[in-house]
Amino acid sequence: MRKDIFERIRTIEDLPTLPSVATEVLSLAQSPEVSIRQLSETIHQDPPLATKVLKMANSVFYRRSPQPVDTLHNAIILMGLTQIINITTSISIMSSLPRDSSEEESIRKHYWNHSVATGLIARILDRKLGMRSKGREFVGGLLHDIGKIILDAYFHEDFMEAHTLSIAQHRSIHQIEKEVCGTTHMDIGFYLAQKWNLPPYLSDIILWHHTPSKASFPDITSLISIANQLAKAKELSCGGDSMSFILSDEDSWNILKERGYPVDDLDLERITFEMDALGDEVTHYISTVSDSTPTE
Amino acid sequence: MIEARSAPPQMMTDEIFKLLRDFIYETSGIFFADDKKSQLENRLLLRLKAHNLNEFDKYYYLLKYDPDSGGELRALFDSVTTNETSFFRNPTQIQALQEQVLPETLAKKQMAGESRLRLWSAGCSTGDEPYTLAIVVTEVLKESIPSWEVKIVASDISEKALRSAGAAQYNEYTLRLVPQTIKEQYFTPNGDGLYTVSDDIRSLVEPGYLNFADARRVELMRGFDIIFCRNVLIYFDDDLRRRFVSQLYDNLNPGGYLFIGHAESLHNISSAFKLVHFPGALAYKKD
Repeated sequence: MRKDIFERIRTIEDLPTLPSVATEVLSLAQSPEVSIRQLSETIHQDPPLATKVLKMANSVFYRRSPQPVDTLHNAIILMGLTQIINITTSISIMSSLPRDSSEEESIRKHYWNHSVATGLIARILDRKLGMRSKGREFVGGLLHDIGKIILDAYFHEDFMEAHTLSIAQHRSIHQIEKEVCGTTHMDIGFYLAQKWNLPPYLSDIILWHHTPSKASFPDITSLISIANQLAKAKELSCGGDSMSFILSDEDSWNILKERGYPVDDLDLERITFEMDALGDEVTHYISTVSDSTPTE
Repeated sequence: MIEARSAPPQMMTDEIFKLLRDFIYETSGIFFADDKKSQLENRLLLRLKAHNLNEFDKYYYLLKYDPDSGGELRALFDSVTTNETSFFRNPTQIQALQEQVLPETLAKKQMAGESRLRLWSAGCSTGDEPYTLAIVVTEVLKESIPSWEVKIVASDISEKALRSAGAAQYNEYTLRLVPQTIKEQYFTPNGDGLYTVSDDIRSLVEPGYLNFADARRVELMRGFDIIFCRNVLIYFDDDLRRRFVSQLYDNLNPGGYLFIGHAESLHNISSAFKLVHFPGALAYKKD
């Protein structure tokens, strides 16, 4: 019997909520006249969050100068408003979603590894293609599979069944989810994105990263779609759907090509080899976010 | 009898390095860039010793003008190639072959009513790679193997390496990545720490000499479904890489796959192939 998890999810009252500061930062991001002072004051309302943002700004991922950045204000000047907004969003969302698990090799651990890897690969591709997504690509990579964490947290057995079937049948996880759960991680994630009032580009990535031709933000959705596949090719996947693929045959690839990005100049082999070193970066990123006390 | 003690060989001058480098390039396609002078010097010292020479230019004249230099040329190829290899090298590539490329290729052939399967281990060295391919093919075909006509062509420029491939005897070290069950099934221990590859596997593999710089000979290699050419392109300069890879493309059947070494790339060498990503491995597909 087919279960419609999507119907049931609406009735769950304790779905994770976005910290109020994150909501405020996201709405600031939509406003054309946001100032450094406004943004810095908003983040400071949540001191543990402010600490983490500063820590991230000083981490190997973002650090620009040899001198440590000691205030949020300076971090914003140095890195730009958009980048700080994106760092803040990533950290608050990561902190508000269930992350820890007792099982060492749990699906949730794979989930976060895959999400961070997708974000990092998206960042590499963004730079090489000159897309100037200013950190949106990292948040997009981090959150594209957010529906999976909800499926795992609230419908663990069904999700595990889908996962096992996907590996056994060599079929993509979202096809199996549809059969087992009556819905997909894209639909669940989209529901959450709407509920949280996430920016439209993020909802778009979450809903369409497997079919970027339907996206309203085709550039960044295609970018995440490619990064997602490359992350899977490195076995940093959280689903069982690590199959082979030819990027140049994918919609995402051809969308970027049609829109004038120099995808054919990408040295995909080199990028793929460089990804071998990504495992350490992923671990480092996750520990940087986890280190200080969680924001509530 | 008094044995003449030769003086230690002189250093290789830049001039003679260029002459030797160009000669090796013309005859084998193997290219020693300017920063590889000391590598070439080290590798040729043994050849100088074998001829009791102490000057590199005398060795050059021997190669170039001695009418019997054919044998020396082959010995030279032996000494300038590296034969570092092992069974099941780069397991993710072998896994992609076993789990995806071979099943796909076989299914396509069955649909078309074909029963010939041809693989090429181009740069087979001491035979570890072609025998690995033969084992994997045997594992995938299982009991249906008698209904297939399987051939694995194994070629190399080093005759010494080919002799080892023909002998098909290997030590523990080169078998270190071989799963225990595979080892028990396809190898016989000799008792002296060596293992011999089983006759069934050996019968699928045909070792033979081939110089990849010899375009006419390479052209004759036709009708392959899968080519493994790992860590061969590193010896060539860009011109030869382009020519050789475009020949490999012609050597493949439509839908065929080319595997090159892990961390090797065809970027800027060929855009004829489609790059295929497998978990942890890359391959190139001829459409």
